[in-house]
Amino acid sequence: MKKKNWYLTIGCVLTACMLIFIATGFLWTPYEPSAMNAADRGTGPCAQHLFGCDSYGRDIFSRTLEGAGSTLTIALAVLAVGAVSGLLIGALCGYYGGGLDALIMRLCDAIAAFPSVLLAMVVLAVTGPGKYNVIGALGVLFIPSFARLVRGEFLKYRDRDFVLSAKLMGVSDCRIIFVHILPNTWPVLLSGLTIGFNNAVLAEASMSYLGIGVSAQEPSIGYMLKDAQAVLFTLPWCTVFPALVAVLLILGMGLLGEGLRDRMGVVS
Amino acid sequence: MAEPIVRISHLNSWYGRGKGRKQVLRDVSIELAPGEVLGIVGESGSGKSTLAKCVLGMVTDITGELTVNSRRPQMVFQDPYGSLNPVKMVGWILEEPLRAAGIKDKRERRRRVEEFLPLVGLEGEHLSRKPAQLSGGQRQRVAIAAALIQGSKLIVLDEPVSALDVTLQAQILRLLSDLKEELGLSYLFISHDLAVVYQLCDRVAVMSGGGIVEEGDVDEIYDHPKHEYTKKLLAASLALD
Repeated sequence: MKKKNWYLTIGCVLTACMLIFIATGFLWTPYEPSAMNAADRGTGPCAQHLFGCDSYGRDIFSRTLEGAGSTLTIALAVLAVGAVSGLLIGALCGYYGGGLDALIMRLCDAIAAFPSVLLAMVVLAVTGPGKYNVIGALGVLFIPSFARLVRGEFLKYRDRDFVLSAKLMGVSDCRIIFVHILPNTWPVLLSGLTIGFNNAVLAEASMSYLGIGVSAQEPSIGYMLKDAQAVLFTLPWCTVFPALVAVLLILGMGLLGEGLRDRMGVVS
Repeated sequence: MAEPIVRISHLNSWYGRGKGRKQVLRDVSIELAPGEVLGIVGESGSGKSTLAKCVLGMVTDITGELTVNSRRPQMVFQDPYGSLNPVKMVGWILEEPLRAAGIKDKRERRRRVEEFLPLVGLEGEHLSRKPAQLSGGQRQRVAIAAALIQGSKLIVLDEPVSALDVTLQAQILRLLSDLKEELGLSYLFISHDLAVVYQLCDRVAVMSGGGIVEEGDVDEIYDHPKHEYTKKLLAASLALD
């Protein structure tokens, strides 16, 4: 009998909880996230302030709600830019091969040779910080890994008999790529997407932590951690709760991806 | 005599380019008449698969004359695990050739697929299954149906039964033979298995080292082989039986 897929179950539950948490943040926060309340400076977790308050008297729960939302949005946008472009490039390179493929892959190697956060820092040093610049810079840097992943899959499938048979029937290359081959790559693509999502969350957090990410008006998890490092020992709740949210988000997504891959691998 | 469906004369073909360019076919001449089954036998590396690819128009590095009088010749592959898209349902797989042929109306495609099913011994319930949920024999039936449904008159059979067990082999060979009569097909049958070739083919060409060493009616080749290589092939297959 099939073993119970615990990864999938736990991943689904965790991700669902996090999404509900974040969705709440978009609609409602108990306090204005950037409102400073002098009376509550440095208050620990209590009934009024679940996660406590920071040294300015801002409610950490409200800020975490909003920050997680902005982290998620940025991570998804980065993933969309990187995965869609990487998918197109990888599919074309893998399917057609040849000189252009070699050229593009060397270019990808060159980009991948640098640590992506470092490269993004360079880009942001030129363009200046801000949400859209972060998305653009990280998105482009995520292309090579997706391109290589998808290319490998297309290399594997392009000489299969079912592709050959489709060619003989007169099916167009475009249709072979997207309708015949692409659905076969889903299991691999899915795990790539979840790993990519986690990397995107981490990359955004590191960039904000380094102070080159989002601006103070729209705090993200990384930005909050950067803010809190000065009071790490005196007001630990400023660090612990945002970090916990980030960890749970990544863990949930990671387990979900792993579980889905197991499940799809078994069926097909 | 009717116009041959395939006419090949003095065909040479190469594989690779530059220094590694190797000649695979050497001065091959052969004809396939409509309604005929021509067996191409030879060991691996003899050039029989390349010859098939030339007929299908998939090899471009050729010299000589090659005429194929059939629209979109199709191929049935050896391994029905690889020739059917694993993520698609049988219904989709059988509709795809019709889609590629430009039939846009979904009901029309369904109707033609359902019409075709009994010809290859499949039933409506198979349409909603994926290839992995079918037996090897059923899978090969689906592959045959997909190759025939566009209405091509020339079919290349690349070892279509050698991945199946002996009882299934007989069934599929029977099916291929019936379909040929019913739909007026011509087969180019590639195999290394002389026993299977003997059951289905009218004529046989024996290939070795990229060239045809002997060609003739199937009985003649089996009873009075002239070339040494043919004798060796026959002796090897008899020893196995």
